[in-house]
Amino acid sequence: MEMPQYDPNTKPEFELYTIPSHSSWFRWDDIHETERTALKEFFDGSSISRTPKIYKEYRDFMINKYREEPSRRLTFTQVRKSLVGDVSLLHKVFRFLDEWGLINFGAVSRGDDSDNRDSSLGDTELKNQVKIEEGAPNGVRVVALPNSLKPISVPNSGADGSGNGKVAVAGETGVKLPPLASYSDVFGDLVKLKGFKCGSCGEQCNSGCYEYSKQGSFVICEKCFKNGNYGEDKSKDDFRFSDLGGNSLTHGATWTEAETLLLLESVMRHGDNWELVAQNVPTKSKLDCISKLIELPFGEFMMGSAHEMNSCPTGSLNSLKEGQSASSENQNDVKMEDQVHDQMNESKQNGDAATEEPPAKRKRIAPLSDGGSTLIKQVAHISTMVGPHVTAAAAEAAVAALCNESSCPREIFDGDEDYLANGLSSPTMVSDPERALQVDASKMEENQSETQDASSEKNDVPLNLRIRTATATALGAAAANAKLLADQEDREIEHLVAIIIETQMKKLHSKINYFDDLELIMEKEYNEMMQLKECLVEERIDVLERALKTGVSKWRS
Amino acid sequence: MKLPATSSSKAPVKFRMPTADNLVPIRLDIETEGQRYKDAFTWNPSDPDSEVVVFAKRTVRDLKLPPQFITQIAQSIQTQLTEFRSYEGQDMYTAEKIVPIKLDLRVNHTLIKDHFLWDLNNYESDPEEFARTFCNDMGIEDPEVGPAVAFAIREQLYEIAIQSVASAREIKISKKGRRGAEHAISSKGGGNALDLMKLFRYNSSVVRKRKEWYVYEPIVDILSNEEVDALEAREDRNTR
Repeated sequence: MEMPQYDPNTKPEFELYTIPSHSSWFRWDDIHETERTALKEFFDGSSISRTPKIYKEYRDFMINKYREEPSRRLTFTQVRKSLVGDVSLLHKVFRFLDEWGLINFGAVSRGDDSDNRDSSLGDTELKNQVKIEEGAPNGVRVVALPNSLKPISVPNSGADGSGNGKVAVAGETGVKLPPLASYSDVFGDLVKLKGFKCGSCGEQCNSGCYEYSKQGSFVICEKCFKNGNYGEDKSKDDFRFSDLGGNSLTHGATWTEAETLLLLESVMRHGDNWELVAQNVPTKSKLDCISKLIELPFGEFMMGSAHEMNSCPTGSLNSLKEGQSASSENQNDVKMEDQVHDQMNESKQNGDAATEEPPAKRKRIAPLSDGGSTLIKQVAHISTMVGPHVTAAAAEAAVAALCNESSCPREIFDGDEDYLANGLSSPTMVSDPERALQVDASKMEENQSETQDASSEKNDVPLNLRIRTATATALGAAAANAKLLADQEDREIEHLVAIIIETQMKKLHSKINYFDDLELIMEKEYNEMMQLKECLVEERIDVLERALKTGVSKWRS
Repeated sequence: MKLPATSSSKAPVKFRMPTADNLVPIRLDIETEGQRYKDAFTWNPSDPDSEVVVFAKRTVRDLKLPPQFITQIAQSIQTQLTEFRSYEGQDMYTAEKIVPIKLDLRVNHTLIKDHFLWDLNNYESDPEEFARTFCNDMGIEDPEVGPAVAFAIREQLYEIAIQSVASAREIKISKKGRRGAEHAISSKGGGNALDLMKLFRYNSSVVRKRKEWYVYEPIVDILSNEEVDALEAREDRNTR
């Protein structure tokens, strides 16, 4: 890399280009091993059109072309017109350079790269950004005490203070949950969607409206403007055009949650009949519906299952994970019930199709938060993993929280709180099939009769609300469950540590005993040795005595 | 400079599309009872033939065409498939051939003119990927353009492949022997393919002269409604 010359008097002659450090092998004069292995075609002598010299020319040209304007993203089409050779091969070289950052490293990356389009709710993220997730997933906060709003970062310290995990989140009604990070003012959306009503003909102004500049609130639609129906006392010049096309109404590209759910519902009902589906989803055209469905990770499955839906309700469902096969039968039984139930079912089916992990084991849970999957999928996934009582409790708390947020849902919920609690608890029974089959079968029957009566009044609970309830329920349930498990893990860990310590102690004890025994033995041996020594000394004295007695004169020592 | 051994003659290869996926380009242009159905897509020849009828039925239902179309569509697809299959058993010589591909097509409101080189020998080539890059780079939003471009490329490759089969057959018939065969290949293919020796010579550069850049540059035009109508009318007149 050329370095800038630091001379304040003259302008630097060389320019500094940045390439990532893992490409530091690159040299202008040479071809590196990396290049040789990645682009073998040039180096195996298989053709006269692919030689190292030619490769070097391609490479140098592309890099120089990029460096003419480093901030501009170099596209393949710009270079291929200037180079002779097979376009597929050129593209390969281009991609190689791009991946190693030798070109387009400092360029602005495309925001709408179609390969990386995130299917969740129309979010688009830059390709180069790294998503770092720390701590609890979005929307789940672990609180220290049941009523406190202070979130804690690590569950360890808070584990004791929260008492029984179950109670931390749910429990009595009136517990105030902090607003979920995924909270969005759904009623705001609904209001905005209404758009403007034309002042003169009374119709909706869809694509553009003309606003009366003198008095802000009067708008007429395009048609009226063209026809000359300006309303009394107003002339043409007073109107200002404002294009609503892309703003308040959702454009073809962005799909809100509500619309996605509507789409899914209508596809389930109408299957392949795209006209009806497009009718049901009011703001989207047929094309949009189809393309959105394909984009959804389980979209293909939906289209397939929609066929079989008409013929065999459980057919496609049964082919899913084994753990859920019993639940699909249950789903059949409770299919008669309310819309909320349908929602949960539907999202669960879709979630099932999408997730390919094995059914979650009791102790270890597969990662719950996956930034790349849609909210609905996550909700579905989470809801399948928790037990019924936890979910019921969480549902109650979620409902209460929603009530506290705005008065509108309160009116809806208040009158039928019991109903909803029952209605919501039935899908939870479904999600835990073993228990459902035995314990709650009786409960189901009495629920069915209740729900049948109340089902007629339930049709006007807005879809969005139910979605939010379901979401809040699932997330709250997941948090509670996570807490439970965390506590369990802690206790296990303590227990295990205690066992380890005990074992160590025992080991030490036995070692000590062993050494004690050794010592004893050593002492005895020592005593014996001493005795032996004394004996020997005595014998020697004896011998000496006798020698003296017999008068041995000379004594050789 | 020593010539690489495999540069000019290659053992004959069984006929197939010289792309990564062996898909056949199918073009439909059917007119019945005043309704005209034009379409172009790729078909996988290894699909069972029963799929053809299913596809025809589906298309008619989706586009709400009168039911006479079903048989006609199925027949047309079937004919083209059989034609493809008739080539399949035969050999084709695939000497090193870089052919120029010209694009000149109109898709809805987008007019595309382009000119580039393609290596016929590269069995890993992917027209769809090329089309995707093309649309991304040129910022084309119409989702129908990509497949149309890929289809056009495929069609041309198909034709060239058919030609090489024909030429292979001729070479077999001719009794000039092996050396003659090589000559024949390079001269037969010479009409279309580029003379590699001249282009990739040691002392010539692969970077084109600047004045030639415009020849190989893609041109993408967005047409207005009137222009589209005018062009369509002209096309209809030409085909009748």
